[in-house]
Amino acid sequence: MSGGASSAIAARGGAQRPMWWLILPALVLLVCFLVLPYVSIVVMSFREASTRAVYGDGFTLEHYTSVIADPFIWGIVWRTLRTGLIVTVVTLLLGYPVAYHLARTRSRWASVLYIFVISPLLVGLVVRTFAWLIILSNGGVANNALKWAGLIDRPIQLLNTPVGVTIGLIHVFLPFVILPLLGNLQAINPEVAMAGRSLGASRMKTFFRVTLPLSMPGIQAGSILVFVLSISAYVTPAMLGGSQGRTMAVLVVQYLVDSFRWPAGAALAIFMAAITLSVIAVYLRLTARAMRRLP
Amino acid sequence: MTTLRLDGINKFYGAVQVLRNIDLDIAQGEFVSLLGPSGCGKTTTLRCIAGFETVDQGRIFFGSRDMTRAMPEHRDLGMVFQSYALFPHMTVTENLSFGLEVRKIPAADRARRIAAVLEMVRLTGYEKRFPRELSGGQQQRVALARALVIEPSVLLLDEPLANLDASLRDDMRFFIRDLQQRVGITTIYVTHDQSEAMVMSDRIVVMNRGVIEQCGRPREIYERPASQMVAGFIGQSNTVPGHVAGRENGAYLVKTAEGPIRSLGPDGLSGEVQVMIRPENITTDAGAGIPAANMLAGRVVKSVYQGNGCILGIESAGGTAFTTHVSADSPLGAGAAVTIGFDARQAWAIPA
Repeated sequence: MSGGASSAIAARGGAQRPMWWLILPALVLLVCFLVLPYVSIVVMSFREASTRAVYGDGFTLEHYTSVIADPFIWGIVWRTLRTGLIVTVVTLLLGYPVAYHLARTRSRWASVLYIFVISPLLVGLVVRTFAWLIILSNGGVANNALKWAGLIDRPIQLLNTPVGVTIGLIHVFLPFVILPLLGNLQAINPEVAMAGRSLGASRMKTFFRVTLPLSMPGIQAGSILVFVLSISAYVTPAMLGGSQGRTMAVLVVQYLVDSFRWPAGAALAIFMAAITLSVIAVYLRLTARAMRRLP
Repeated sequence: MTTLRLDGINKFYGAVQVLRNIDLDIAQGEFVSLLGPSGCGKTTTLRCIAGFETVDQGRIFFGSRDMTRAMPEHRDLGMVFQSYALFPHMTVTENLSFGLEVRKIPAADRARRIAAVLEMVRLTGYEKRFPRELSGGQQQRVALARALVIEPSVLLLDEPLANLDASLRDDMRFFIRDLQQRVGITTIYVTHDQSEAMVMSDRIVVMNRGVIEQCGRPREIYERPASQMVAGFIGQSNTVPGHVAGRENGAYLVKTAEGPIRSLGPDGLSGEVQVMIRPENITTDAGAGIPAANMLAGRVVKSVYQGNGCILGIESAGGTAFTTHVSADSPLGAGAAVTIGFDARQAWAIPA
């Protein structure tokens, strides 16, 4: 190759060198407000408890061993994960048809439906949860409706139970599964599903063999989002859960704010983060298998 | 024998009528093109046949069976989409296997049929590729193979060549036509490209604004267009307005600004007409003219070189603009006086 050509390539390479300093502001923000606090929480979780300061001088593993040895905490871990799982599955089942319809419809009502979909995000979290408080109470709309329909004679306890928390979370997080799915489904060529039908497959068969596999990225993104948000949610379980519906996030706040057990609360928070990360790691591996054939 | 019959199809989108009394009989093994400008209803017609659109009035018969309300999956059709619509998460083999699995064909038969069809579309060796690993032309052939491997009663093609390079498109025309002839499958082909329709079809259905303008063999459509729309849409044409003054030697005598023109035309023609003459049927001469039934004097207004010859723009004495082709070494340049000539059988009168 001639020198002229290679120097031209070098010049072009130079012009396209990534401008790394553009990420500097985001990097500073990330380090100051995410990495540093996390590091300080990790450090705090290994400190001895103290009655006079936030934590004592020595280092200990005691907080972790007591968290891991405590069946009460494992009970709450299990309840939190179960709630997260139920919320994720239910929002997927409820959200998929809505996203599918929105992706395919040519109706002029589509934008109205879209606003309905994001409506849970338009009202403040506390206000919205108060509404659920009213609906789910023993004399509330939900129980009255069930009684009127003849399904129950006495009010069933919804408030201050995991059921109430689950209902509240499903409502809040429905948009988080619909929006990624909508983007995914809109990107799928509608003629692909038509091709399935023309080859003799029913609507159902075409859906399960063509549309559903192609929408796996949207399902993955939406479900991870909802799962993570559900198990780390604080306001909804704190207001609707009572002590029966207490989740890990509520427990951590009780440790920190109510009983001032900062190092133990920090250990609990790290424990919770570790469990969340491992669940997501397993889930990513499983879904990656389902998506390995996608472009 | 008729394999497919459309009987008085009407279709509306809201208040807009997109198909108007579409009647069409397609014989076994016939290659029929639906040709027209965009929005003419050709793709809608195809989708009605495929079952992806419902018709508001009229009926669709496959053989003697009324399939007007049948689901797409029960129509036994092979369809090739403009976007190819291959399943992106399946290999070539899996794409082809889909329709066979749905039909519960045993694995051994599936493998045999897939191999045979892949050989037919010259894609042997590409079995394990994903669609994204194939070129546009190869994807096109996979789409064709996928539609053919189920051995459907009718093959539907929706502008399958629209997304290919020009040179590849020319090859694929003959490839598809050859394949269709070898398999002997009844084929409906939607296109807006008149030359594509011309070289591939047994019969062309020219559509415009939801109605069938003309239905006939390519030669009939080109030489004997039924309307000005058809004459203008298919190939190039020169038109001279006039009115029928009588008949002479089996031809119409049409009075025009250029004087009387002798022209053929459909039976029973009278009143206002447009006389159409194809550019290649016009002779040009610098002198007194080559003897012909119609001779007009004029002047060359422009001459454009285009490789295989020149295009001449001529303005006749009566003020009509003519376009014609001459060889590249023709002495006729802009400004030259010229005599143009054409015979009565090379002119065709269309009701205005």
